[in-house]
Amino acid sequence: MKKRLLKIVELATDYPKTVMALCVILTVVFALQIPKIRIDTDPENMLSPDEPVRVQHTETKKEFSLYDVIVVGILDESTEEGVFKKETLERIARITEEIQRIDGVVGDDILSLLTTDDIDAAGGMLTIKPLLEAGADVDPEWVKERALKNPLLKGVIVSEDGKLTSIYVPIERKDQSYRISREIGSIIDKYKGTEEYHITGLPVAEDTFGVEMFKEMTISAPLAGLLIFLLMLFFFRSVVRVTSAMIVALMSVIWAMGLLIGTGFTVHIMSSMIPVFLMPIAVVDSIHILSEFHDRYSPDKGVKATLLEVMDELFIPMLFTSITSAAGFLSLITTPIPPVRVFGAFVAFGILVAWLLTITFIPAWLMLTAKKMRLKKTEHATSSFNGILQRAGRFTIRYSRPIIAGAVVVFLASVYFITFTVVNDNPVKWFAEGHPIRIADKVLNKHFGGTYMAYLVLDGKKEGAFKDPEVMGYLERLSDELNKLDVVGKTISVADVVKKISFELYGEDPAYNRLPDSAKKISQYLFLYEMAGDPEDLFHLVTPSYSKANLWVQLKSGDNMDMQKVVQFVEDYMKKNPPPEELGHSWAGLTYLNMVWQEKMVSGMIKALTGGAITVLIMMVILFRSVIWGLIAVVPLTLTIVFIYGLVGITGKDYDMPIAVLSSLTLGVSVDFAIHFVGRTREFREAGYGWNEIVSRMFGEPVRAIIKNMFVVAVGFMPLLFSVLVPYRTVGFFFASIMVTSGVATLILLPAIMNTLKRRLKLEEV
Amino acid sequence: MVKRAITTIALLSIVLLLPPVEASSQDADRIIEKSNLASYYAADDGKAKARMEIKDRRGRTRVRELVMLRKDIEDGGRQNFYIYFTAPTDIKGMVFMVKKFPQRDDDRWLYIPAVDLIKRIVARDKRLSFAGSHFTYEDVSGRSPQDDTHTFLREERLGDKDTYVIKNTPKDKDEVEFSYYIVWIDKKTYLPLKAEYYDKKGRLYKVLKAEKIETIEGIPTAVRIKAEEVGGGTTVVEFTDIRYNLGIPDSIFTERYLRKVPRRWIR
Repeated sequence: MKKRLLKIVELATDYPKTVMALCVILTVVFALQIPKIRIDTDPENMLSPDEPVRVQHTETKKEFSLYDVIVVGILDESTEEGVFKKETLERIARITEEIQRIDGVVGDDILSLLTTDDIDAAGGMLTIKPLLEAGADVDPEWVKERALKNPLLKGVIVSEDGKLTSIYVPIERKDQSYRISREIGSIIDKYKGTEEYHITGLPVAEDTFGVEMFKEMTISAPLAGLLIFLLMLFFFRSVVRVTSAMIVALMSVIWAMGLLIGTGFTVHIMSSMIPVFLMPIAVVDSIHILSEFHDRYSPDKGVKATLLEVMDELFIPMLFTSITSAAGFLSLITTPIPPVRVFGAFVAFGILVAWLLTITFIPAWLMLTAKKMRLKKTEHATSSFNGILQRAGRFTIRYSRPIIAGAVVVFLASVYFITFTVVNDNPVKWFAEGHPIRIADKVLNKHFGGTYMAYLVLDGKKEGAFKDPEVMGYLERLSDELNKLDVVGKTISVADVVKKISFELYGEDPAYNRLPDSAKKISQYLFLYEMAGDPEDLFHLVTPSYSKANLWVQLKSGDNMDMQKVVQFVEDYMKKNPPPEELGHSWAGLTYLNMVWQEKMVSGMIKALTGGAITVLIMMVILFRSVIWGLIAVVPLTLTIVFIYGLVGITGKDYDMPIAVLSSLTLGVSVDFAIHFVGRTREFREAGYGWNEIVSRMFGEPVRAIIKNMFVVAVGFMPLLFSVLVPYRTVGFFFASIMVTSGVATLILLPAIMNTLKRRLKLEEV
Repeated sequence: MVKRAITTIALLSIVLLLPPVEASSQDADRIIEKSNLASYYAADDGKAKARMEIKDRRGRTRVRELVMLRKDIEDGGRQNFYIYFTAPTDIKGMVFMVKKFPQRDDDRWLYIPAVDLIKRIVARDKRLSFAGSHFTYEDVSGRSPQDDTHTFLREERLGDKDTYVIKNTPKDKDEVEFSYYIVWIDKKTYLPLKAEYYDKKGRLYKVLKAEKIETIEGIPTAVRIKAEEVGGGTTVVEFTDIRYNLGIPDSIFTERYLRKVPRRWIR
C-alpha cells in the first residue's frame, strides 16, 4: 500500500513540470466555478426543507398570510412630544407611503400609524381606520392619545412614552431584504428631519450578514493567509519553500470552494468559513516535509533521493493526520443541519486535496526549485530556545505525576463548567456592538415590547372553535400570562380585537373592556369588524373559519434561550390549565425556528463529536498497532475539547454554531500533534534509544516542528479578531486557544503520561 | 321644404345604410351612463336573496346569505339599501343599511342583534371588501360614472354577445387601488359582462364577471356574478327570488326597522 502510494511521489519527481501543469489546470477548472457563487444567509436553511418544524412554519405563514418583516423605528427623544409633532407625523406618512410602493414589499400588510386600523366609536359613529392619513390635517396629541388607548397599537407601533413609532414592512422574499432596506434608507434620507431612523429585523440582519460575509471572505481570509505566510517565512527563511506551502493551501481552498459552488451548493455562513478552516490544516503537512527536507538535503545526495527518503519517513504520519482531520470534519455529515453537513464534507474534501497536493505538488516544486535554494542551517542545538525546550522536557519527566494530577483537575473542572454552557444564538448578535443593526435593535427593544416575532398557533380542530367565549377566554388568559414573562414584550391575539370592539361599542366604558359572554356576540363583533374594517387584518390572527387562532408573541430578544423559556412556559401552562376544548398547539416564526435548529445542533454535534472521536481512536489503534498507544494519542484532544467547552461555559460565551463546529477542528488538528509526537517517540524507541535520550531528542526537532505548527495556525488567524462579524471573531479566538491548548497538552501531558507508564510502554532505560 | 325633406331622408338613409359607425369617445360616457342605470337602477325598487360563496387563495370557503332590498330615490342618483343577513346562524339578524349619495360619502348603519346595538359606520373606503368578499362596496352599490374618464376602445364579441369595450381611468388616482379598469358592456342590455382591473404597476389583478343573465319581469338581470383575484381567491354571488317594483316603502330604510325586521319584505 505504502509502496504503491509512494510511486505517486516518484512520478511527481520524475515529471515535475507535468504534475505542476496538471495541478494548475485543475485549479483553474475549479476556480472557474467560483463566479457562479450563490450566497445563502437564510437561517431557515439550517433545517432541511422537509423538516416538520419548518413545514409547519411555512404552512402557518401561508395560513395567516404572514411575511418576514423589516422594522423601521423612528425615534425622537429631544422633546416631550416625541414623534407626535405635526411635521414628524407628516414625514412618517410620506415615508410609509413610499415604502408601500417598493418592489417586493407587501404594501397591503404594512403595520404603521398610516396603515393599521384604530377602532373608534366616538359620538355614535364607528370608525375603523388608521389614525394617520397622508396629507390630512390631524392633531398629533389626538393621534397619540388614540394610539396609546389601542392595545393593538401600543407597544407595537407606538411606544408607551410616545418617543418611538415603527413601521413593520413585510417582504415577499427574505433574500431581498438588504436591497429593500437600502431603498428604505434612501426614502428616509429624502424626507428625514431631526428624528432618528433605525432599520432592523431578522431578515435585514441575515441578508446584511450575507453582504458583510462577502467582504469578510475577500479581506480577512487573504489577510490570514498573509500572516501565515509571514510567520512561516520567519521560521523557515525561504520564500521559495514557504510559497509552495501557501500554494498548496490556496489550491486546496480553490478546489474545495470550486467543487462546492460547481456542484450547486449555496455558500452559507458555515461554508464561507471553509477557507479559514482549511488553510492552517493544509499548510501543516507541507511544514513537516519542508522542515525535514531542509534538515536532510545535501547536494551530493540530490533532491530526488532526499525527497524519497523524507517521504518514506513522513508518508504514514501525513496520511494519518490527513485522514483523521478529514474524519473529524466528515463526522459533521451526521448532524441534522444541512449547512453544517456541507461544511464538514467540503472541508474534509479540501484536507484530502491538500494531502494529495502535498505528496505531488510539493515534490515537483522542490525538484524544480531546490537547486536554486540557498540552504542555510537555521536553528542550532545550542541556541537558547533549545535549552528551554530541553529543560521543559526534563520538567515533564520529573513532575510527571503532578502534571497528570493537574490535567485531571483541569479536566474535571472543565466538565463541571460545561454544565454552565448556554446554548444560544441570535442573528442580530452576529454583528459586533456598534454596528447600525445592533444599535437599531437596542433602540427598538428598549422602547418597545420587542421586535422578535414568534407565532403560537392554537388549533380548535373545528369550525368556529374560537367563537366560543370559553375558548377565546382561554386564549386571552394564556396571552395575559405570557405577557407577564420578562422576556415577552407584548402579545396580540384575536381576543384583543374583540375586547377593543366591545370597549368601543360601549363608549370606552372600562367595564366593557372584556370579552363578551356568548358566541353570538363574538361572531357579531367580528362581523362588524369585517364589515367596517379590513377583514384581511383579522385573518392574520385567526383563520376565516375561526378554527385556528394565531397568538403573536413579541420577544425582547432573538436569543434562543428566551424563546425556549416561552415555549416551556406554554407547555407547562397548558398542562396545568387544560383548555376547555381540545386545543392543539404549535409554534412558528423565525425566532422559534432558530431555537429548533440550535437544539438540533447541540444534540447533533454531540453525536458527531462522539462518532468522530471513536473513529479517530480506532485509527490511532490501527496506526500504532496498540490499544494503549492509541488511547494515549487521543488524550490531548480529549482534554482540549473538554477544556475549550469548559472555557465557553465559564466565560458565558453562548454556544452557537461556529463554537459547535470548532470541536471538529480540535478533533482534526490536535490529533495531528499527538500522531507526530507519539510516532516520533516510537521511532526513537525502535532505534534503540533509552527513555531519557528519547525525551531529549523529542524536545529537539520534533517538538520544534509542533510548536511552529501551533504558532502558524494560532497567529495566522488573528485578523479574524478584528472582523465586524462576531462568528468570525469567535472562530479566531478559539482557533488560537485550541492550538495553544492542544499544543501544550501534547508537549507536556504526553511525556508525563509516557513517563508514568514507561514500563508498560517498554520505554525503559536500555 | 320638400327638397329639404328629401335631403334629410337621403342623408338619413345614408346614415342608416352605412355599416354602424364606430362609437366615438363622447359615446363612451353615454354607454357607461346607460350601463350604470341598467345594472344598479333597474326598476324603482327591487329585492333579491343572495348567496355569497367566498373562497380564499387557499381554497378555504365561507358562505354568507342575505336578503337585499333596494329603493331608488332618483335614477342614477340617490338610493337606499337594506341588507339583512340570514346565514351563517351566528350572524343571522345583522342588518346593514346604506344611504347612497353620489356626490358625498354614503351613510351606513349596522345593527348588532346580540347586544341590540345600532352603530353608524363611517364610510371609510368604498374600495374595501364588502362583508369579507372579493367584491368591494362600490361593486355592490355602483361606482359613480363621474369618478372616471371613459375612453371607448373597441367593439368586441364576448361569448355570444356583442359588446362595447371601454377603458375607465379614475380622476382621483389616490382614492382607488387601481390605475384603470376595462369593462365589456352588452350592446343590447347595457349590462356589464366583464371588468378587468389593473393595478398601479399596470398588472391585471382582478376580474369581475356576470356569469349568468336572465330576464326577470322583463328586466335583464345578472343572476350570477363572480369576482376573481388573479392568483388569489374568488367570490361567487348567486341571486334568487329576484323581484322588481314591489313598492317598498321609504320607512323601511330607517333606524326603526333595523331593530324591527320588516318580515313582510324580507321573506
